[in-house]
Amino acid sequence: MSFDPATVAAFVDGELDDLTARRIEREAEKDPDLAAAIAGHRALKAKLAAHYAPIADEAVPERLRSLLARAPAIDTGPPVGASPTIDKSLAERREAKRARFAPLHWGAIAASLALGLTIGLKPWMPAADVTSIDRTLVASGSLAEALDAQLASNQPAGADVRIGLSFRDRQGRYCRSFESGDLSGIGCRDDGRWALQRTMGGQTARDYRQASSGELAASAAAMMVGDPFDAAAERDARDRGWAD
Amino acid sequence: MRFEEELVELLPRLRRFARGLARDAADADDLCQAAIERALKSRDQWQDGTRLDSWMYRITRNLWIDERRAAGRRGIHAPIDEAATKVAGEGTAEVEAGALRGDVDGAMARLPDEQREVVMLVLVEGYAYREAADLLEVPIGTVTSRLARGRETLMHLLGEAA
Repeated sequence: MSFDPATVAAFVDGELDDLTARRIEREAEKDPDLAAAIAGHRALKAKLAAHYAPIADEAVPERLRSLLARAPAIDTGPPVGASPTIDKSLAERREAKRARFAPLHWGAIAASLALGLTIGLKPWMPAADVTSIDRTLVASGSLAEALDAQLASNQPAGADVRIGLSFRDRQGRYCRSFESGDLSGIGCRDDGRWALQRTMGGQTARDYRQASSGELAASAAAMMVGDPFDAAAERDARDRGWAD
Repeated sequence: MRFEEELVELLPRLRRFARGLARDAADADDLCQAAIERALKSRDQWQDGTRLDSWMYRITRNLWIDERRAAGRRGIHAPIDEAATKVAGEGTAEVEAGALRGDVDGAMARLPDEQREVVMLVLVEGYAYREAADLLEVPIGTVTSRLARGRETLMHLLGEAA
C-alpha cells in the first residue's frame, strides 16, 4: 500500500485535497489492501453513526427543553408557549416513524456498506444513503435525516447534505432538492418516505456527470406546482412532519 | 433566530455528543443541563454569526473535563492527566481483537477521554480536523494523532479490518 494510514484515514474523513483523493481512488481500484483499509474505516464510521444517531432522534427531555422555554424572549419569534406542543407532536411522530422503520433503516445502511450497494459505485466509494424498497429508491440514513429535518434557511456550515428547494409537485407531494458529496437529486414525500425522483452523481462520483445546481433547479422547476417554499413555509412543513 | 430557539434545535445533537462523552444517559443529560445553564449565563460571549453548535460543544466538553478532574481528585475516576498518557490499547490487552464486536459503548468506554472526544467530534458529529482542533484548542496534529489511536483501538475491539 503506497499511502500511509494517516492519509487513508484523512481520505475517509474528507480531509484530502481533490488531487490526492483522486489518486487514492484510482489506487484503490488496483490495490485490494488499500480498498480493504478504506472499507474498514468506512465500516467503523458507519457503525459509530448508526450507534449514536438514534440518540439525536429521541425526544428531548422536558427538563432540558424547559430551561430554554423559560428564558426571556429578546426578539419576536413564534410564541414560546406554542412551541412545546408542536415539538412534542413532532417528536411523537418521529418516535412512531422510528418504531416502524428502525430495523429496516439501520439494516439498510449496514447492507449498503457491506455490499457496496450504492448506485453504480465501487464498494470503497462513499456509500450513498439510499436504499431500495419495493423497487423504489428511497433516502435513508443521513440523507433521510437531512430531508426530514434540515432547513435550507438554516444549514450547518459543514453539512454533508445541502438542501436546495422545497416545493409541492403535481401529485401534491412535498419534494425537496438536495446535493451531497456522492449524490444529488430530488426526493418526494411518499408514504412516509423520501422517494428519489431525480438522482445524479455528486461531486465525488466520477462515473456520473457532475450534478449542477442549475440542472437540479431546472428539474425542480419542471416538477413544481406554484412557487418554491420560502423559509417560513419550509419550516412550517418540516414541523408538520411533511404531512398534510 | 432567537438564541434559545437555535439552542433548542441543537439539543438532539448536543445530547448525542454528551452521551458519547459521559456514556451514561442520565449523566449525559445532567451534562447537557449544566451546559445549557452555562450558555444562558454567558450568552454575551457568543459572537453572533459564529457557529453556535461549536460554542455549545466547547462548553459541554469543558464542563465534562472539569467534572472528570473533580471526580479524579475525589478518587472516583483516574485523573484525566493519567488517562492522557495512556497509549491506545493499553488496558485492553486482555481483550481479544473483535471481542466487543457490536458493543460500541463498551469499546468507546475503553478509550481515554481525550481520544473519545475527538472520535465523537470527527467520526460522529462530522467535524473537520481543523474545526475540532479549534474547538478543543489543541494543534491539528494532536487531533489527528488522538483520532488515529482512538480508531485503532476501536477497530481492534470491534473487529473491523483495518
